[in-house]
Amino acid sequence: MTAATLTRPASEQTAETPANRKRRRWVFHAVMAPLTLLWVAPMIFVLVLAFRSFDDIAQNGTAAWPSSFTFQGFKTALGTGAMGRALWISIQVTVPAVLLSLLLASWAAYALSRYAVPGRRIILLTMLAGNLLPPQILLIPVSRVMESLGIYDTLVALVAIHVGFGLGFYTFVLHGFMRSIPSELTEAARIDGAGPVQIYARIIMPLCRPSLAALGALATTWIFNDLIWAITVLRTEAKLPVTAALLNLQGGYVSNWNVVAAASVVAAIPTAIVFFAFQRHFVSGLLMGSTK
Amino acid sequence: MTTAPLSRRGFLAGLGGLGVAGILGACATGSDDTSGTASSTLTLQSSLSDADPKAALTKVVEGYTKNKVTLNTIAIETFRAQLPTYLNSGNPPDVLTWYAGSVARDYASKGFLLDVSDLWTGSGPCAGFSPALKELSTADGKQIFVPTNYYWWGVFYRKSAFQEWGVQVPTTWDEFIQVCKTIKSKGVAPISMGTGSTPWVASGWFDYLDLRINGAEFHRDLLAGKHPFDGPEVKAVMDHYRQLVEYIDPKGRSYSWQDAVTPLNSKKAGMYLIGAFITSAVPADGVDDLDFFRVPIIDPSVPVAEEAPTDGYFASAKSKNVSGAKDLLAYLAAPQSQQQFIQLSKSSNLPTSQQVDTSTFSPLVQKGIKLLNDSKAITQFFNRDSSDELQTTADTALTKFLDRPGDVNKILTEWQANAKKVFGQ
Repeated sequence: MTAATLTRPASEQTAETPANRKRRRWVFHAVMAPLTLLWVAPMIFVLVLAFRSFDDIAQNGTAAWPSSFTFQGFKTALGTGAMGRALWISIQVTVPAVLLSLLLASWAAYALSRYAVPGRRIILLTMLAGNLLPPQILLIPVSRVMESLGIYDTLVALVAIHVGFGLGFYTFVLHGFMRSIPSELTEAARIDGAGPVQIYARIIMPLCRPSLAALGALATTWIFNDLIWAITVLRTEAKLPVTAALLNLQGGYVSNWNVVAAASVVAAIPTAIVFFAFQRHFVSGLLMGSTK
Repeated sequence: MTTAPLSRRGFLAGLGGLGVAGILGACATGSDDTSGTASSTLTLQSSLSDADPKAALTKVVEGYTKNKVTLNTIAIETFRAQLPTYLNSGNPPDVLTWYAGSVARDYASKGFLLDVSDLWTGSGPCAGFSPALKELSTADGKQIFVPTNYYWWGVFYRKSAFQEWGVQVPTTWDEFIQVCKTIKSKGVAPISMGTGSTPWVASGWFDYLDLRINGAEFHRDLLAGKHPFDGPEVKAVMDHYRQLVEYIDPKGRSYSWQDAVTPLNSKKAGMYLIGAFITSAVPADGVDDLDFFRVPIIDPSVPVAEEAPTDGYFASAKSKNVSGAKDLLAYLAAPQSQQQFIQLSKSSNLPTSQQVDTSTFSPLVQKGIKLLNDSKAITQFFNRDSSDELQTTADTALTKFLDRPGDVNKILTEWQANAKKVFGQ
């Protein structure tokens, strides 16, 4: 038994002919193609649904083969559904929240990684621990805090929440990255007369660009796709971001699935653009922790 | 050297402060154009997120010119969850849509609702409403609710389908079971019921069977915690429910109530006990073919009762503009507003004001009015006659029951235990 298993790898290695490799590739495709199809099926389903008419869906059900083609869903979503306005609100929340949280996180990470701040380990762990708390248990306290600050039902509140909740994780990731930058670089700069601010702006930040890009892409998707905080601190319809507006399209009595599907497609476009633009950084950014 | 760390910190702090102030400031100026004028503008928080009712309410509010009104429509499930927060906040919306009955009384007992008794007296807009509606809107001797429309429940079916299958509208329980048998023999599911994401639909049959067997008074007391769910009366209800289980489309277990309308439309299911709002989920050409009948009588000695859930508005006790809020309520309750809303929302809802001319309403709605006028008692619906918490216990129990009707006794004991917890709170 043992002899047989020991000899097999050797014989396999010699038998690695092109034909064998080709067959293996064929098996790979045969397995992966259906899996891929399964993976994209929901998206295709939504896309098809978006172009069907309401009467068609009501008559034949959502899963039926489409028997109509119309842009009515998109028209309603952008018209009475006000997806355009909601998209603009989402951008107004996402852009400042991402920029501000990355800026603050990079300051914090810079200080924690380059200077002997007392208790920096505890600070860092506390920041990370805060991230482990499920946001659901903080919904009511946070909405009360916003209320007492007088910013309940404003976009400022939403930006502040996203900055606050993102900060811990971003600082942790940036801290890890900044620590991997050799200290000789900053020491050399210091010998040349650069102050802390100059070192931060001219040495550290340019070197952190890949991790900042990855975090930026991550933060954008998280904040853009957030629903729970939006519906917790906002109550004016005209201030609802795209996710909450999407939820509003779904009525208690009727669900115009074609409108909901069309609006979902519209809502997915910005995050898709950000993702594709930063795709390279995204993947390398996710690997950041593993190589260290 | 000693000044370096100080100046660095000072510089960083200054920079940070500037940055935050600048960015937050930019946001604030970008978004506070509506909140700045909130004190003089009335806010109407609406849960009517369905397309047609939303458009209708927007139109009705546009017709109100005395005060500026901001209409906020929030998806119903979000609204339900956020309602306590809305009412409890420092600057609450002035007027809100919601349901009459126990749910409104519950909020009134916490002191959240504005006393609108003056709208119900003298020449107030609600003075002409029926005594039953007044009683429904009263908590601790004060009126806290303004009902504007209500709807009926019935067993909906397609006229052409019944003709095809050669069945007649049943009026008694035995006839009803016979109809179910006939429809089933044609290979069609007799009863459609979407209890997947909307498990409360299962309470419809429970409510009606209880109303038909034990009567409205017992039903109200049961939901108020005065009778046990594992008593002989509820067991009798469940015995009848059990006879239905084999006729209920099993696929409905994974449908929402809306999805379960589709089999009815395509004649793959025969009947559906649901509210009149079903008409909004039926394609335009199917509405004329749609009809309904009263849930069959089981015990003729029990006075006929029907469910007629009532919708309307209440105002927040903390409203900054009480006279404005009352004025808006009065406008919304006026006959012409009611009529405009019902017609534009294309719903099959009925007006609460007796001055609304209903002769132009569709034959289906006329039939609904007649159904309710012929009833001896009116109930709301399980959750509206009790609370959302008790509804959850019903959802759990009835979902289990539909899966395993044989375990009915065990399920009822569990239900009673859960209900006790709700009432014990």
